Amino acid sequence: MNREPTISASNDIILSLKILAREKEVVRRKLAVTAAKLAATAEKLAVTAREKEIVRRKLAATAKEKESVRRKLVVVAEKLKKSYETLEQKVLERTKDLETSCAKEAAILLSIGDELLVTDEKGNIIIINKRAEKLLGVQNKDVVGKLFSDAMLLVDEKGNPIPAERHPARMALMGSATTAAGPIYYDMRKDKTRFPMAIMATPVILDGKVIGTIKIFRDITDEREIDKAKTEFVSLASHQLRTPLSAVNWYSEMLLAGDAGELNEKQRKYLDEVYRSNQRMVELVNALLDVSSLELGTFAIEPKSTDICKLAQDVIKEQRPQITAKKLSFSFLCKKRAVHIHVDPKHLRMVVQNILSNAVKYTPEGGKIVLSVALADKKSILLKISDTGYGIPKYQQGKIFTKLFRADNVRDKDTDGTGLGLYIVKSVVENSGGKVWFRSPVEGGTKGTVFYVKLPLDGVKKSSNK
Amino acid sequence: MTKKSPKEKTILVIEDERPLLEAINTKLEKNGFSVLSARSVEQAFGLKLIKDDLGIMTVHSIEQALMYLETLEKVNAIWLDHHLLGKEDGLYFVKKIKANGGRWTSIPIFVVSNAASPNTVRSYIKSGVSKYYVKSDHRLDEIIGDIKSLLDRPGKTINAALSRA
Repeated sequence: MNREPTISASNDIILSLKILAREKEVVRRKLAVTAAKLAATAEKLAVTAREKEIVRRKLAATAKEKESVRRKLVVVAEKLKKSYETLEQKVLERTKDLETSCAKEAAILLSIGDELLVTDEKGNIIIINKRAEKLLGVQNKDVVGKLFSDAMLLVDEKGNPIPAERHPARMALMGSATTAAGPIYYDMRKDKTRFPMAIMATPVILDGKVIGTIKIFRDITDEREIDKAKTEFVSLASHQLRTPLSAVNWYSEMLLAGDAGELNEKQRKYLDEVYRSNQRMVELVNALLDVSSLELGTFAIEPKSTDICKLAQDVIKEQRPQITAKKLSFSFLCKKRAVHIHVDPKHLRMVVQNILSNAVKYTPEGGKIVLSVALADKKSILLKISDTGYGIPKYQQGKIFTKLFRADNVRDKDTDGTGLGLYIVKSVVENSGGKVWFRSPVEGGTKGTVFYVKLPLDGVKKSSNK
Repeated sequence: MTKKSPKEKTILVIEDERPLLEAINTKLEKNGFSVLSARSVEQAFGLKLIKDDLGIMTVHSIEQALMYLETLEKVNAIWLDHHLLGKEDGLYFVKKIKANGGRWTSIPIFVVSNAASPNTVRSYIKSGVSKYYVKSDHRLDEIIGDIKSLLDRPGKTINAALSRA
């Protein structure tokens, strides 16, 4: 038997198979390794992919944020742009405002019809306008930098120089809020002529310190002449109007006295009407002249210490015949024997006379009138005139101080009156720094009127006697 | 001008308005006064000439006028208006009279005028007139009453204060 070769062949195959198997194992192992590697790689890739995803997501988030930031930036940018534009607008507007205000100021300075001087805190002239140059007969270059008191020689009415400390500009430098000088100052022009001047000096104050003055002045020759013409008109009118009234007065007086023979009853009655109407006309003319004096400002105020009680007594004395004729009960109360007040007596007399004569006129027979004078407080005096008369109708009380107004109830009663009395009273009292008011009907009553006049004790300032 | 009894007092009236002058004269005469009248200062100064039937003459100087006045018969009081004919007014007249001295200085002067500006009134009072009346505010008998009472009691002073002005 030849078993050897078979065995040997089978062995070879086994060997080969073994080798193959081993190789296969190796390959398998290799494959396994590769698979493992692949798996690892896959794992890594997966991780990477995840990371990438995360990154991507982050990027996406960042992109979103960026977008939102960008949008925000756009908004901010727009806002900035807008605010810049607004700012620019505002700057433009403000600049324009400033320019306008500068232009206005320049225009105001230029258009001041008066003469203007501006000084620094030492009183040296820094600005002089054209008008001032012309009026003073000087040139800008000659006066700028000089002391105002050297540039403008002020003298009084008699030609005596006004001392520097009384110059309005000097007083303004001392800090007086506004110094208005009366029309008594004159200035010498270069040609030595003299003219009346009105001067107003105002300090320029910065942080409580006077840093200069502005002085405005003008030649008031024309104004003075107009004042004179007004006064002349009033005086002429008063003369011309009163002359024919005087003739009617005196001739009817003589006729009524029987100087031209006895009159019969009717003649007497008619003539009486003529006489009384003429008296009314006289009163009206007097009142109108007072009014025109007040309105034209030709009312010279010459205050002096006046005993108000004595003055009131004088007025009462004048009214006594009418008071007696109407059987009025009259009381006069003067709290202090002599209350002196600094006023123009002729004006105060007008006030008392008008109110008292109204009380007498508008109180029926048998009525009662009380005039009292007392101190209202430390600084003022109160005049009170009360009556039991017709009173002033409520619906017309607002008009009672109006010129030429007369209330219906007294017109109805045929009483005489000009409608000017209370207008004059109010003008005079207010010119004197006082107050006048009334109550009607009197408190707790149904009729009567109380007039109150309150006047300051130190009274009024003297005004030029035109 | 009326006949004059020895007791009569003479008033010199200087007033430019003819109707007013007539009224004043009539009323004064009714009250027993003798009246001399003039409508201007020049006429007033020239009254002596009128009385001597020489007609109205113009005086050329104050001295001349005052000379006439010195020789003029006794005038007890003067009734004077402010505005007069001619260029001089009543105030001028008063000043001249007062400046002249002598008897004329003491003749009471009653100014009766409608020119009632406070300045005018003050000037008259300062010049020493006895009283100033606003013409349209006073009756003739009232003014004449004042004149009478002053002349009856020469020593008496009257209040020159005014009802108006």
